[in-house]
Amino acid sequence: MAKGFYTDTTICIGCKACQVACHQWNQLPAEEGGRRELSGRSYDNTVRLSALNWRHVKFIEQIPESRAQTGFMQGSRWLMMSDVCKHCVRAGCLEVCPTGAIIRTEFDSVFIQQDVCNGCRACVGACPFGVVDIGEDGKAHKCTLCYDRLQHGMEPACAQACPTDSIRFGEVSDLMQLAERRAAELKAQGVNGYVYGKEDIVGGLNAFYVLVDEPHVYGLPDKPELPSANVDSGFAVSAATAAALAVTGVVSFRKNRMDEMAAAEEGTVRDEPRRLSWQEDDTLPPPDDTRGGPR
Amino acid sequence: MSALLLPHALLLQLAANPQSGVALPPHWGWLVILYFFLGGLAAGSYFIATMLELVGDPRDEEAIRLGYLIAFPLVVVCGLLLVLDLGKPLRFWHMLIQSERVPLPILKAWSPISVGSWVLTAFGFFAFVSFVGVLVEQGRLRWDPLVRADRWARERPRPFSILWGIAGAFFAFFLAGYTGVLVTGTSLPFWHNARLMGGLFLASAASTSYALMILLLLRRDRTAAGVTVAKLERADRLAIVLELIILAVMILLLGSVARPMIAGGFGVVFWLGVVLLGLVTPLVLHWRRHRAAAAVVTPGGRVAAHASAGDGYRRAALSATCVLVGGLLLRFVIVMSPQWPRVPLWYL
Repeated sequence: MAKGFYTDTTICIGCKACQVACHQWNQLPAEEGGRRELSGRSYDNTVRLSALNWRHVKFIEQIPESRAQTGFMQGSRWLMMSDVCKHCVRAGCLEVCPTGAIIRTEFDSVFIQQDVCNGCRACVGACPFGVVDIGEDGKAHKCTLCYDRLQHGMEPACAQACPTDSIRFGEVSDLMQLAERRAAELKAQGVNGYVYGKEDIVGGLNAFYVLVDEPHVYGLPDKPELPSANVDSGFAVSAATAAALAVTGVVSFRKNRMDEMAAAEEGTVRDEPRRLSWQEDDTLPPPDDTRGGPR
Repeated sequence: MSALLLPHALLLQLAANPQSGVALPPHWGWLVILYFFLGGLAAGSYFIATMLELVGDPRDEEAIRLGYLIAFPLVVVCGLLLVLDLGKPLRFWHMLIQSERVPLPILKAWSPISVGSWVLTAFGFFAFVSFVGVLVEQGRLRWDPLVRADRWARERPRPFSILWGIAGAFFAFFLAGYTGVLVTGTSLPFWHNARLMGGLFLASAASTSYALMILLLLRRDRTAAGVTVAKLERADRLAIVLELIILAVMILLLGSVARPMIAGGFGVVFWLGVVLLGLVTPLVLHWRRHRAAAAVVTPGGRVAAHASAGDGYRRAALSATCVLVGGLLLRFVIVMSPQWPRVPLWYL
């Protein structure tokens, strides 16, 4: 029984009630005591998900270069999307966490146990969506899918606060049906709506979206991979290199001995004192070779 | 700048399928850069000592002892760097032990950072044993149980010591290589797609360790270490060539995804510091030294050869220093370039 979010970005009005509800319920303080520089990016001054912002409403203004060409408001679009941890079915952060701090809960959500996390930050680089962040306390933080509320049969604060039901909480399979229906509806209206977060996106997202433009327009990866995708081949390359280094090491280290053995077999005794390292040369003709005559 | 270095069409073709992540930089700064560098040196010097012990001759004694003597202190430094790098340093043991179910261990074979923690611990054990062995052998440590243990270990049959050496060298290789795989196991496009990073770090660890051993041997005794230094230089040459090949293939395979490292300010550090100073210069110095030696030795014999000894010493030391500086810069550009500017250059 996987629980998750279905976020229909087409009916998001950018009110940020989800952000506020999240801050309030999870007692997340304002950054820098509430002083905030304006980002200059539309109405978005949160900028990104972080240790203190587990919900983040994105504002994407799509306005043609010249309005004269299209007429007032023609061809313009204002996309809004409430971003959150995707609670991936195959979660990169969970996969890589060396301490076992990141677990999958009974609701199939991905949860960071604060008393276990030691702040190694492997999960930060691992998350393909840039969700996990390190807080002032040195530990990793992200959306908990309101684990505490779920345990008491409540829905997450953001979903409850959303006035347009852009954010819906529930059983993932049920929500997916709703999303598919919505995407089909949009298509019928001539809008290219689709579900982002089906199984093609790192095995499925428990918090998925209906989008109307390419994923990267929303700051989402077009085709994310699990962080571990190249780890096996990385180790294979390492093993091959190790073997090559071992062989070159043995060859280089044994060369003197081989030379001496060869010399002994030929019955020549080198009476010349051993040359210094920087004078040794494999390509040198033996200077004291008096056997004479070209072979 | 990258467009200048590779034909644009080739770049596009090679970058056909870059993974598009929007990952955040994990804020791995100088503590991690130094760990990657020193961990490589620790692993490399242990590996060199083991190899010399297994296939070398009695003249390599000095280098073997030196390798074991530097490996363990370096591992200790590595451990400290990693602990300091944690957000909660006192919880370092959570890497190995399940904190809720002490003392059950935790190991995720598919997570490079988890495996790496165990490998560092295991390698630390091997390095410690060899370190103590050398101290006892030198008579610097005279505690009776240790002396007896040392004698017992030395009386073991040859296969035993060979197996021991291979096990230690395995962990050494793993330590030097997994750090590269560690960055491959992230979602930052440059790191994620660099499948050859583990091999690159291994080759660089070997080459920098040869250089470190050469420098230390030359410092200790300018003449007696000659045979070993010659062996190490020969091996270093091959390691540098291997590193150059891996680096070239890696950049070709990455294409435009490698842009953080090969373009802009980091590109300058990479091409001038890593490639020119750290890889090409040592190779040229090696080659020129051999030409000089050949020119001097062939006609006259020993007397003339000795005249160039000081010059040769300087060149050997210079080339080793270049390798070491290049190795550190390599780790700097690889770790920092995809994280900058969100992570400042001086970030610890």
